[in-house]
Order: sequence, then C-alpha cells, then structure tokens
Amino acid sequence: MTTISFAPKRHVEVLKAWMIDTLVWGYTFLVLFKIVWQRIILDLRFIDFSWSEPLACLALGAVVALAMFFTRCSIGKALYGLIDFQDGRSWVRESHAVLTLVVLALTFVAGIMVTQVSMREFFSESGLAGAQRIFTALLNPNFAIFEDALFAAIETVFMAFIATSLAIPAAFVLAFFAARNLMSGSPLSFAIYSVLRFFLNVTRSIEPLVWAIVFSVWVGIGPFSGMLALFLHSVASLTKLYSEQIESISDGPIEAMKATGAHPIQVIWYGVVPQIILPYLSYTIYRWDINVRMATVIGLVGGGGIGTMLMQYQGLARWNEVGTLVIVIAAIVWLMDYASAKIRARLK
Amino acid sequence: MSQLVLEHIGKVYPNGTRALKAVNISVEQGEFLVVIGLSGSGKSTLLRCVNQLHDISEGKMTFEQADVTHLKGRSLRQLRSRIGMIFQQFNLIPRKTVLTNVLSGALARTGIFKSLLGIYSKAERELAYRYLDIVGLREKAYVRADNLSGGQQQRVAIARALMQNPKILLADEPVASLDPATSHSVMKYLQKVNQEMGVTVICNLHFLSLVRTYATRVIALKGGELVYEGSPQDIDENWFTAIYGEDAVEVTID
Repeated sequence: MTTISFAPKRHVEVLKAWMIDTLVWGYTFLVLFKIVWQRIILDLRFIDFSWSEPLACLALGAVVALAMFFTRCSIGKALYGLIDFQDGRSWVRESHAVLTLVVLALTFVAGIMVTQVSMREFFSESGLAGAQRIFTALLNPNFAIFEDALFAAIETVFMAFIATSLAIPAAFVLAFFAARNLMSGSPLSFAIYSVLRFFLNVTRSIEPLVWAIVFSVWVGIGPFSGMLALFLHSVASLTKLYSEQIESISDGPIEAMKATGAHPIQVIWYGVVPQIILPYLSYTIYRWDINVRMATVIGLVGGGGIGTMLMQYQGLARWNEVGTLVIVIAAIVWLMDYASAKIRARLK
Repeated sequence: MSQLVLEHIGKVYPNGTRALKAVNISVEQGEFLVVIGLSGSGKSTLLRCVNQLHDISEGKMTFEQADVTHLKGRSLRQLRSRIGMIFQQFNLIPRKTVLTNVLSGALARTGIFKSLLGIYSKAERELAYRYLDIVGLREKAYVRADNLSGGQQQRVAIARALMQNPKILLADEPVASLDPATSHSVMKYLQKVNQEMGVTVICNLHFLSLVRTYATRVIALKGGELVYEGSPQDIDENWFTAIYGEDAVEVTID
C-alpha cells in the first residue's frame, strides 16, 4: 500500500502563524491610533471613523508581522510551536511573551475607555442620592403584591418544569444520533451526525432570551413563548450532554448482553441504559434548575412569569414592589439550587 | 461426533488485519480446552467467532452437527443463548444488583416486554439463586454488582453464563485482572462447572501453570495460526519458546 504525501503541513502552519501575527499587529496599531493617540493624547471629543483606518492598520500589521517573523517576537509562531523553547529561560526574555502582555495591557486600556468607566459618575452627588433612593425602596419591599409575586413565581417554575420535561424525550432520541461512537460506522450515519451537531450548536449558541423574543412574536407574549424558548435551548444542550454520556459508556456490558443471545432492544435496556440513566437524571435536574433561572430572565422580554412582573414594576419605577420581586426570585433560585445540588449528590 | 467443529476458519477485520488464518479445531463435549498464545495472536478473536460477536470471514463452523457459520437475527440469538461467555473485565451491568445480573443470562428466553419491566418468573428466580449457590454468592444477591471484589464479580459472571443453561462456556482470559489466589478460586469454579455440570469450557489463558492444572487439552495460536495442539503435560521448554518466542520467560502462579 502506498501513501501519497502532500506538501508538508509546516507550510500551512507558517502561513497561519503569519496571519495571526498580522491580526495581532494590525489590532495593536489600531488601538494605539484610535484610543491612545486620538482619545487619550489628542483628547478628541468626537472621533470619526472610516474603513480606511483599520485596513491601513492591517496592511501595516502585515508588513511588521513579516519583518518580525524571522525573530522570536512572533505570537503566531509561538502558538504553533514553531519556536524552540529553551528550558530554564525566563519568560521575560521571550519577546513574544512580552508582546502578548503589551497587547493585553492595551486591550485593558481600550476596554476602560470603551466602557466609559468613570469614577466621577460613580461618586457624583446626584448619583449617590439615586443609589440611596433605590436601595431604601428595595430594602422596604411592599408585601401587598406578595401573593401576586408568588403566583407569578409558580408560573415561572412550572414553565421551566414543562420546558425540561418536554425536552427530555426529544433529547433522549436525538442523543443517539449525536453520539460519535454510534454514528461513525458509515458515511451516511456520519453525515447525519455532522448535520445534527451543526444544528444543535447553532441552536445552543443563540441565547434563550433571543428565542423568547422570536416566540413572543410567534405565539404572543406570555408563559407559552417563554416555555418554547426554554424547551428549544434545553433540547439542544441536553442532547449534547446525553450524547457525551453515550460516547463514554463501556462496551463490556453491551458485549456481555449480546453474548447471552439477547434481542437488540434488551441489549440497549440492560447494556446501555444502566450506564447512562443516573448521569441523565443528574443532567436533567441540573437543567431544570438552570431553566428556572433563565425563565426569570426570559420573563423580562415577555416570556411570562415573575420576570414579566418585574419588568412591569421596573418600568413604573415602583422600587418597593421590585424589592419584593427580587426577594421572591432570590428565594426560588436559592431553593432550586439547593434542592438540585442535594438530589444530584444522592444520584451517584 | 464432535460438539463444535471449526474448519479453515479465517477472520479479516474491516481494517484489513488478518486475525485468524485457516484454523481447524474440533471440540468434544465435556472438554476443558485451553487456548494459549501471545496478546494479539488471535485468541480473543477465536472465542468471539464461536459465539459470533465477530462474524466469521472464511471457513465453516458446525455446532451439534448444524452449520452455524453465517447465522442472522433470531437463529443467531438462539445459538448465542446456548454458548455462555465470561470476560477479562467481567462486564457486569453496573449499578444493578447481583441477582439482576444473573437473571440477565435468561434474556434470550424472556419476552422483550417482560424483560423491559424486569418481570421474571418464580422459576427463573429460583434458578438464579441456585446458580448463585454454586458460585457461593447467594448472600450477595441484593448487593450492587460493582461493589463486589474482582473475583466475586467474575463468579457472578459465571452464574450469569450458567443461567443460559449453556452447552459451551467461553472464557476470555477470565483471571487476567485478578490476583493469584483469586485466580485459582475462579478457575476452580470453572472446573466445577466443567466436571459436575458437563459444560464444555473453552478458555484463553496466559499462565502455563494454570494451563497444566486445569486444561484437559491445549491449543496454541501464533499470528492467527494454530501452532500446537496436545496435552497440557507435553508443553516443554521447546514448545514454550516456539509459542512465545525466544525472549519470553515463564512466569508461574501458585
């Protein structure tokens, strides 16, 4: 059998390393020009922007990266292991390590400027007065709405519970198709695996908050839209957790059950299920716990429950009522967190 | 007539590895046949071809005068149910009781729905207790299998295999993960099953001292080929070198 060897991988890595260096230097020049020069040194009030600036910085970065590429001062080369590290040499003498620190420091400075951190605002007289007002109100909660808050909280907990329990069967089935060890047998099954993984990753990377906005337009504002958002996100994340559990099971019991002459369904029930059932339960309870927290946040965009109530009172600036709601939310979250931790500790 | 006949059995794995090359073996009812050879010589493959956990690539296999080389579905499960197997890593069901593990040996004759609900007849339960008695673990029936010691787990695995009421018991390096004292105890139970219940045993072993004590016949594999067949007493220094190579040193277990 002959193996065809392609061009050495090293060339690709050198190219990638140079591209990383180009980005790092381009970013450095952009931050130096826009933040350090224009914002801090010239102290311009209004900084205008044109696309030629980042492009020019990138071009300059590419040239500098090329020039520095033949020295040890290259983050890209360090990342791809193209620099021979010498044992016992202090990192202070490694120019790429120093460069990394400089870039991080620049990022920190830029971050402070961009987030408009201002001690003057924080300790201003009107600011402190506002803080005092809101804290006084929050610490004097209005318990007249306690019953309403409790009912809303119950709605939230049930919303999370239904979302979790509807997600279980969906995730249970999908997990088998998302488990690499079961699906790497044929090109077709591997294609199904890859497509499913892709969709799950996309679904998971969109926050439930965004899904809640989508569904509140779809089915209208209320607990149903919140439940749908949590359901979708739970399916995606439970499928991932379940399938990782399937990937980690041992083949031994499966082989043993096959050897007894058991039917494939019996092999799964006796050889696979006992290995995954407790981790599954544990993940699911944890998910419910997470869903209760998320349900509160989702309520803020119209997902129903105590979050919606919080949004309404906050909009009216009725801070005494908001204080009550905050207490109820904190109590629920703490209770769920405690109960789920206790139950999961028992499931070992 | 021999109970199990392998004729020119060959096994090629999907990645192209030839694990077995034209192996001919006849196994008689009631034998204690031991298979020796280096790791990778094809011992495990041979056992897994007998109960077709691996399908047979070439040759013909006859079990009790019936051609069973290429069985599928129900008839394959029926063949497997008559051949018990125990493993180096015991392969018990984790987090389940010893009793459930033993009962799982009866899956082939239990309806799917009943087995999903875990409903076994009184007769099956009593059978399970009887086999637990035989391996001396009756009082552990309700203990979780993964809380037992290695030797005890292997004895549960023997009881599970007995639950199948097998004609042949395959043992794939049954004592390789056990300490010397426990090894002998497990081997003695296999011997008891062989001598008192008349179950044919085909066993992969590493230690020649165990081979000499328990085997009634020995075969040796090297590179997937049968290189020796005979009585355990006839394995001398020369044979040992031929099977295991120049650099090997015999290690004894007592």
